[in-house]
Parts: sequence; structure tokens; C-alpha cells
Amino acid sequence: MSSDTSQMNARGIAPTGADAGRGSHPPRGSARRRRWVAPVILMAPAMVVLAVILGYPLVRLVLNSFQDFGLHALFTGQNEWIGIANYTAIFTDSDFLPVIGRTLVFTLGLCVACMVIGMAMAQLMTRVGGFTRMLLSFILILAWALPTVSSTLVWQWLFQPLYGVFNWVITRLGVFGDYTEHSWTSEPFQAFAIVFILIVWQAVPFVALTLYAGQSQISSDYYEAAMLDGATGWRIYRSVTLPFLRPVLYLVAILQVIWHFNTFNQLWILTQGGPNGKTTTLSIWSFQKAFASNSFGQGSAIAIVTALMLMVITFFYIRRLVHSGEKL
Amino acid sequence: MTTTAQPATAAGTAEVVGGTARGEVRRRRRRAKNPGSHLLVYVLCVIWIFPIYWMLNTSFKAPADILSTTPAFLPSPPSIQNYIDAFTKAGFISSLLNSLGVTLATVVVSIALGFLASAALTKFRFFGRRAILITIICVQMIPGTALLIPLFLSFKSLGLLNNYAGIVLAYVATVLPFSIWVLRSFFLALPDEIEEAAKVDGASTWRILRSIYLPLVLPGLISTSVFAFINAWNDYITAYVMLEDQSKYTLPVWLVSFSTNEGTDYGGLIAASVIFSLPVVIFFVLVQRNLVSGMSAGAVKG
Repeated sequence: MSSDTSQMNARGIAPTGADAGRGSHPPRGSARRRRWVAPVILMAPAMVVLAVILGYPLVRLVLNSFQDFGLHALFTGQNEWIGIANYTAIFTDSDFLPVIGRTLVFTLGLCVACMVIGMAMAQLMTRVGGFTRMLLSFILILAWALPTVSSTLVWQWLFQPLYGVFNWVITRLGVFGDYTEHSWTSEPFQAFAIVFILIVWQAVPFVALTLYAGQSQISSDYYEAAMLDGATGWRIYRSVTLPFLRPVLYLVAILQVIWHFNTFNQLWILTQGGPNGKTTTLSIWSFQKAFASNSFGQGSAIAIVTALMLMVITFFYIRRLVHSGEKL
Repeated sequence: MTTTAQPATAAGTAEVVGGTARGEVRRRRRRAKNPGSHLLVYVLCVIWIFPIYWMLNTSFKAPADILSTTPAFLPSPPSIQNYIDAFTKAGFISSLLNSLGVTLATVVVSIALGFLASAALTKFRFFGRRAILITIICVQMIPGTALLIPLFLSFKSLGLLNNYAGIVLAYVATVLPFSIWVLRSFFLALPDEIEEAAKVDGASTWRILRSIYLPLVLPGLISTSVFAFINAWNDYITAYVMLEDQSKYTLPVWLVSFSTNEGTDYGGLIAASVIFSLPVVIFFVLVQRNLVSGMSAGAVKG
């Protein structure tokens, strides 16, 4: 999927003349001669949709976060400017620090777990035969493909008090005592734990399969050379596999950060942020403020804080991407 | 707008398949029998398949056997009563049709817009092109849930709540940046000589787009339409916020409301989830194969 256009991309300005070097070697972009009318017409529909559905709401989100936008404003259409009152309200909210801490720990834990398990699984896949590997790939794809709403409902059923198979198994093991009627979502840590397992179950397939694809493209010559030099197992992985895999690893890791930071469906359906708001993360908090407490201004402020945090976390990656140049 | 969370899905899958064949050759040369690794992989297989196995197992049990304190590991006797129950539940069929309509509209609109825009971005040079491309990458970083609030407020004041046009537009905007990005790589792979030859023969821009580019980037259109399909079909939160009327619900919203309102009918719920998941899973598995040719064609430089 890598296509090279770097030589043409340094400048983005259309040549105005209708001249064109029409030598024996026509320049690669004969399109250079064309005016700007055609591209504008072609771009217009997509740009209009993006501007209206992404651009405008984004601006409005920022504006709303400085307004007193409650139920009253929703019906009258009048909203007062209140400066940074929404921000001071959320920063001084006793929920603020716990929610941030929870979100960060949850995200970090998921990223580490998914990356470690995914890397191990990818490495494992290179060490087994074709059939075994295909079987695992197929199963992973099924887990990955399952819509999150379905998988979350299945989770609810697996961990259901009284009838859930997980409670039954854990009781039969006899180590933990009688878990038959245990409700996993009534204790914050355990509620987080089952959401955590659910997300790991669905996110690892992407990590493992992508990394395996990356690993299988490393030429075997490097491995042979390393083996001739007497390197074994772990050393080969560190000195040959990892350096080649680095770009893919970066990409996968950054996607994990973004996805897990924004986790919503699984938490919302399984816990709704409860019990007692103890599983509320930033995205749940923003949603609740806006749609449950009808405080759209504060909800917007939380959304902005969330987006800014994510931007800071992913800043270095984006900068690398934009500066790499070869892709544009 | 939930599903900005999946932009790499289609591309990732393609790499997987593309990589397998090559990896195979290498491994034949290198691999030594490794019983420990095999055992571990089989353990992982069991862990990862279990929830899906349990989902199917539950859905084929007789409704009376589901709420049993000693779960049965095989449905005996197997029964499709849960599926019949699901179809006869109030609102299931209408929400299924709603989902289909919204999803197909999203696919059609997003590939049309994506095709035209990526053609413009690759085959023409114009002022601001690079800026647009960078914006398109950055746009993907905005969390979908953040945009939900202003989108809800805007739709409310425009009277677009409960309206499928609004929700389709929201889905199109979600998948469009990624679609443009993927289609762009297919366009870049096409040599300009093709276009020049067509122009010498007197073809217009429109004609070139339709008769030359369209068939050549078809594999890219297939993978982007699958991506759009999965996004629109799976979305829960946007539909949950935007569709207030129960008769307008899409399938995921219906499923979740069903689970909160009729919490005890797990048979019907799980069977309905299987039906809901089936198209996505089938597409996902099928596209594995389609994408091989698609992506390898896209990867060949002009």
C-alpha cells in the first residue's frame, strides 16, 4: 500500500500556465496543466459533508464549552456566555481527579496488556505450523469482527449472576468459594475487570494479526545471518524482529491508545459508569453530564479536555507522521 | 460516530492475508517442530473461541434450558425457538430493516464522495491540496463521542433528530476520511500514462473517471465500502442519541434497550445478537480473500 509520490508533493500549488513540458518525456502529472475547476467540483461534496458534520460541530463544541447551555437553552435557543465557568466547575468537581486517574490507568493497563499479549501471540504464530496458525487466525478474526454491542451483551450473559457460565465454572473450581450469585458489576474493581477482559479479548486480535503480518514480511536472510552469528531466541527477537517491526509497532500502539482512551460502548452498556460512578471514565463522564444531567456546557468542556489530553499524548506520533513527508 | 475507533480494520486485515503466503515459504525453511508453542496456541484458541461458542450454544438451546443453574455445554436437544422468538419480538424486524436502510445509504454515499474526492486529491494539483490531506489525518484523531454533543444540539435545532438523513450524514462523515485515505493509495498506484492515452483519444474528465478510474480502483472501493458497512451497522452511540423514537431504532439500539427492559430473556437476546453479528462477521471473513487481490493491486507501483 505504499505508493511513492514524494517528488511531486513538495509543492501544493497549481501551476497556472497552460504550457507544459511536452518533450519526449511528458512529466508524470499531465494533470498539472488542468485548471482548478475540475478538482474543486470533485472535492466539493465530500468537503461540504466534512465541514458540516465534523468542522461545524467542532467549532460549536468549543463555543458551547464557554456557554451556560442547559435544559433552558435547549428549548429557548438562548445561551449565555459564562467565560470559563464550565471549566472551573469541572476542575473543582470532586469527581475530576478520580475520573482522570481512572481513565489513564484503565487506558495504560489496556494498552500494555494488548500490546504484550498481541506481540507474544504474533511471535507464537511464527513458530507453529500452517494449520494451527490458520485456526488461531480464524478464531481471532471472529472475535475481532463481532460488533461491540454483541460482544458486550454476550459478556453480560457470561457473567450473569445465577445463570452465567463463568460464575458456575469459578464455583466448580472450588478455590474461591460459592460465586453462583456473585454480581460482577456491583463492585467497581470487578466491574472494571470484566470490561478489561472484554476489551482485551476484542483488541488483541487486531494487534496480533497486524504484528504477525509485519513479522512475516521480514526477510528470512536476516534471521539466517543472525543464526550464523550464533544468536538465539530472545536475542534474535530483540535484534532482528523488533527493529524491523518498529514502524508497525508504533502505529498499532498509538491506535491502541486512541481506542482505549475513548472506550464507551462496553463501559456504558455493562456499568453505565456505576456503581456509584466508580467506573466513570472521561468519555462516560462527558456523556452523562450532557445527556443525563442536561448540562451540555460542562459536557462540552469535558469533551474538550479529553480531546486535548489525547492530543498531548499522541502529539509526538502525529508530528512524526506529518514530518515524514513521504506519505503526502 | 462511535467507531472512529476502527480506522485500521480493513487495511490491517489485508496485511494479514498478504503476509501469510510469503511467511509460509519462509517458515517451511526455518521451522522446527515445537510442541510447546503448539500447545500454547491451542490453549489460546480455546480461550478466544469460548465466548463465541457460548453465544451460539445459548442461542440454540431450548428457551426453558437457558435459565438453568447448571449450564449445559451442548444444546440438547437443539432448538431454533430462540430465533423464532427474536423475530417475533416487537420491533425486531423493523429495527433490522432500519439498520439495513441506514447502512446501505451510508455505503453508497460514502464511496461516491470518497471516490470523487480521492480522484481530485491524487490526479489534480491545486492550491491547498497538502493542507487538505493533513487535515484529513488530523480529523481522525477527534474522538467521536466529543462531537456527539454539538452534533446532537445542531440536529435538534435543525429538526434532524429521529431523521435518518442526519444519522447517515454522521456516519458518512465518520468513514469518509479513512475512505479517502485508502482510495488515495489506489489512485496513486495508477500510472498517468493511462489517463494521457485516454485524453489523446478525446475522453473528457468525467469519462476518464467513469470508464478508466472507476474499474481500476474497484478493489479499493470494495474495501472502503466494507469499512463503511461495518461502521454504520455496528454504531450504537450515535443512533442511541439521535433516534428518540422507538420505531426508528436501529438494531444495536434495539438490542441494548431489549437487554435492559427484558433482562431475563437471554435466549431471545443472544439469538438476536447472533443475527445482528452475522452480516458483519461474514463480510469480514469474505473480505479477507477479496482484499488480497485488492491490496496487492494497490501496492503495485505505476
